[in-house]
Formats: sequence, C-alpha cells, structure tokens
Amino acid sequence: MKKAILLVISLSFLFFFLKSVFALNMESPLFKIQYGEIGIAGGNKSSANYSLSDTVGQTAAGQFNSTGYIVKAGFQYLHSIIPFRFSISNTNINFGTLIPNSPQTATTTLTVSFGAAGQYQVTAIEEGRLRTLDEVNSVPDTQCDGGTNTCNESLAKPWTSNTAYGFGYNMSGNDIPSDFIDSTYFRPFPNRQENESPAVIMSSANVGRNRQAVMTFKVNISPIQPAGKYQTIINFVATPSF
Amino acid sequence: MKIFRFLFVIFIFYFLFFISSKDINAQSVSLSLSPPLVETVIKPGKSILIAYTIVNYADPVILSAKVLPFEPKNNLGQIKIKEEFEGPIRFSLDNSHLKLNQSFFLKTNENQQLLLRLRVPEGAKEGDYYYTLIVESQPVTTQLEKSASFAKASIGANILITVTESGKIEIKPKIVLFEVLPRFRFSFFGKKINFFDSTDPIPLILIIENQGKNLIKPEGEIILKGNFGEKAKFNLIPQNILSQSQRLIQATPSAEIDCSNLSKFRACQSPVSLIISGFFLGFYRLSTAVIFGENSPQISAATSFFAFPIKIFTGLMVALAIGFFLIKRFYNKD
Repeated sequence: MKKAILLVISLSFLFFFLKSVFALNMESPLFKIQYGEIGIAGGNKSSANYSLSDTVGQTAAGQFNSTGYIVKAGFQYLHSIIPFRFSISNTNINFGTLIPNSPQTATTTLTVSFGAAGQYQVTAIEEGRLRTLDEVNSVPDTQCDGGTNTCNESLAKPWTSNTAYGFGYNMSGNDIPSDFIDSTYFRPFPNRQENESPAVIMSSANVGRNRQAVMTFKVNISPIQPAGKYQTIINFVATPSF
Repeated sequence: MKIFRFLFVIFIFYFLFFISSKDINAQSVSLSLSPPLVETVIKPGKSILIAYTIVNYADPVILSAKVLPFEPKNNLGQIKIKEEFEGPIRFSLDNSHLKLNQSFFLKTNENQQLLLRLRVPEGAKEGDYYYTLIVESQPVTTQLEKSASFAKASIGANILITVTESGKIEIKPKIVLFEVLPRFRFSFFGKKINFFDSTDPIPLILIIENQGKNLIKPEGEIILKGNFGEKAKFNLIPQNILSQSQRLIQATPSAEIDCSNLSKFRACQSPVSLIISGFFLGFYRLSTAVIFGENSPQISAATSFFAFPIKIFTGLMVALAIGFFLIKRFYNKD
C-alpha cells in the first residue's frame, strides 16, 4: 500500500515539474507563431517604410531654423500600402410605406480599409429627426422597449415590442460597439439639432482591410402618427486616429 | 387605330413603372483620402502646402472639403470633431478652380488633388493645434417618394500642428497606469498581489499622460522577467499623445485572444496595451522605460504578478483523490 502511494506521489511530482520546465520556455513554438502573426501589424517599426519616415524627420529637424517648418505626412507613410478608404453600400435607405405597429427595417453596409499602426473610427449622427418635408410631424427617436430596456445614444437595449415606437439602428459585424449584443439591440441616433455628439459606431486599433459592419435602420410608427413622407439625413464620418 | 392606342398606353405604363423606377436604385459611396495624417512643426509667419488626393471608387458623387478643429475624445485615440472652426491657423485651397466648402463633382474612379495651404500668422501663440480635413458627399434627397433616410459619407484626415518659434517642444510625460488585469488580486500587508492561472493570457495596461503643451511620441519597450531568468521584450508602438491628454499605448507583439468564448475576460471588455500568452509559473516582473525622442527624460514603471497552475493542480488533486480511493478499495478487497 505504502509503495503504491509513494509511486503515485512520485509520478505526480514528475508530471508537475515536466510541465513546468516545458512551459517556462518563453521561446516555445506557440509563442513564436503569435509573434509572427502580430509582427505583420506591429513589426512596422522595422519595415522599409518606417525607416524612410525616420530619415525624413531627422533631416528636416536640422533645417527647422532656416525653413521654419518640419512636415511628416502619413504616419510613417504606411497608409499608402492600404489607403484609408470608407464605403457605404447604399446611401438611400428606403423604408417604403410606413404602417403603424409594423416595424420597417432597411440595411446598409459600412466598409473601412485602413493600413496604419493607428486606429480609425466611424461616427454617425442624424441631421434632424425623421420628419415630414414640411417639418411639422416627426417620428421620435426610439427608447427601445422602455423600462429596464430603455436605450439611449450610447447604450443599446432590446427593441422587440411592436408598440414601442420610434427610429433607431442596430449594428452587426466588425469593430462595432459591444452593447449591440444581437439583432434585437438598438440605439437612437444622436441628433445634431439637439446639440448631441456623434456616436462612434465602428472603431479599431488593428490594421485592417475591408472591415465591414451592417447598420440596420428600424422605424415603427404609432396609429396616431400623421400620414406623410418622413425623411432624414444620417451623417457618417470616417477618420483615422492620430 | 385601337392597336396604336393600346401600344401607347403600354408605352406610358412601361415608362412610368420601369424608367422612373430607376431613381430608387441603390446609390453607393466609396472614398479614399490620403495622406490620412500630417504632422508639422512650424514657426509663426510660415506656411506650407499639403497635397491631398481624394479618390471616388463608387457612383459619381458631389463632394466638398472643409477643415474643422478636433480634440481627443478619450485615451483610445478617438477624436471629437468640433462643430465650429477655431484657432489661429488659416487654411485655404491653392487649386485654381476650387475653394474650401465649394462643391465639386467626381466621376467613378476619378480623383481630385486638393492643395491645402496652411498658414500660421505672425504672432500666433505657441502650442499645438489639431484639425481634420473633411471631404463630404452631398446626399441626393429628392429621388425617393417614400419614407427614407439618406446617408451622407464624410472621410477625414488629421493635421497635427505644433507652432514654435525656436523649434523646441515641451516634453512633460507621466505614466498614470502600468498594471496587469489579474484573475485574482489579494492585499498582503498593504501590498497588492496580482495572481493568474499559469495558462491565463496576461493583459497589461499602459496609459501615459502628456502634461505639456506639445504632442509627444513614446519610444521604448516593456520587459517581462521571470524568476528563472527568462526574459521577453515588447516594443511600444509610437502613437502620438496630444497635449494635455492621456493615451493607452499599445505594444507589440501582442497575443490575440478569441473573445467569443471569453466575453467575461477583462481584456475582452476594454482595450489593453498588451496581451502576453504562454505558460507562467512563479513570480514575474514587468517593467517599462519610455523616452520621447533624443535628449528627452526617461520615465519608467514596474508591476509584478504571480502565476500558479491552479487548473492543473486542481485536476491533479482530483486525480490523486480518485487514485487513492481506487488503490484503497483494491487493497481492501485483497
């Protein structure tokens, strides 16, 4: 019995330390693989493009007093590899005929390509409420289902009730805010006429090509909403970081 | 005659329902603007010319360009563009037939060079000024006869301007946070002890504050040292820290983790500077030393953590217990 216990303990210790010795090697094959992957993004510092930027900066620095300026354009000039590009698949988001208590949805796809070692962001803001051309009647911005599921311009909440009225949006895809948990989560647009700040709807710190997100617009009107053609403009602004 | 009338009605029907319905076809916008970032150090009284290129990859579009100031929104490198122009810097376009805020037309796959003149008036106050050149599309709002929203696409490029008479810039950095996000944190005699499972990825946060009046760019590395002499280095990515702001500085090579299965993992809930993966055992020390160009002061910080194979150890204990139970039962039978 004692020999058996001793054997089990000895084997356990052997197993324990064998694991440790293997794991403590920080140059393990796993680690090197990860280095290679990230190196595409982070290794920019040693790329030919970056060296070029360094040289420009130093040369210009010595000339400051005579010329009066130094210019560095394009963060290490890396952007020229994947230019900063922003696309909207459909700029006319047609809701058709609005029917009370019957939510209408429409989608557009936003795409951003960005090859820098910095970040990018896309913001959205409505230029005014969804309203008739004579600006008399408007659809309110959604509050989602209300109660504990009341959403706002920076927090998405479920909007599933057909008797919850308003205008809002959902996001899905790459680089979207984490509060858009699934396709039932919506936010209202910030409104420029109410001095609200644009909402960040896409952002990333990683180098990327064709980062795509789908924006789903949703409108639900009440039975007392006056008939008419309701329209608004959503301003999307894509900017790189600094 | 009746046949001609019938054909005429068919023609009108076709025209109304097919020709006019083309108006509601999807309209797409795809723009690129380069260079996306310009940094300049400039004396009062001087001016420079920056050549931007805007390319239209989608349907023909009407565009216009404008310049607005921005400020950092948070420590993640995001910006907040102000609604109104402010500051002493004067911008104009040197294009012969184009001015700022003036509309111009671009066909598909056509590009337009925008020659942006930036002028710093004599007597302009020394310091930093941050602007964004914005090129925006004009939405076509009259085509739809139904309820709709129209997207206006704008693409921006940032301009960071340091105005200085002497060429010297103020460097006043401070590390405000250099800390791991541990699985467990204990307090022992007033000292915080960070604790991880050996297989956990180690998320690290480095936030630097720029207390000066000019932007700075960090250079340096993060070093991980283990209790068995092992060492790993991670380079800081030289991201600009604007004046009077903080920024989360990223380091490379950072591990990537799949947050779809680790949504409660703290590194999946908020951005981090670095994620170190591997198998860790014992005491580890993380340190960083950062400079901001030649002859700048060096700032440093350090933190530490313990790692122990909790999951493996727990599994081992369970295996031992089962082993003891089985052996005991086997001998009892004998």
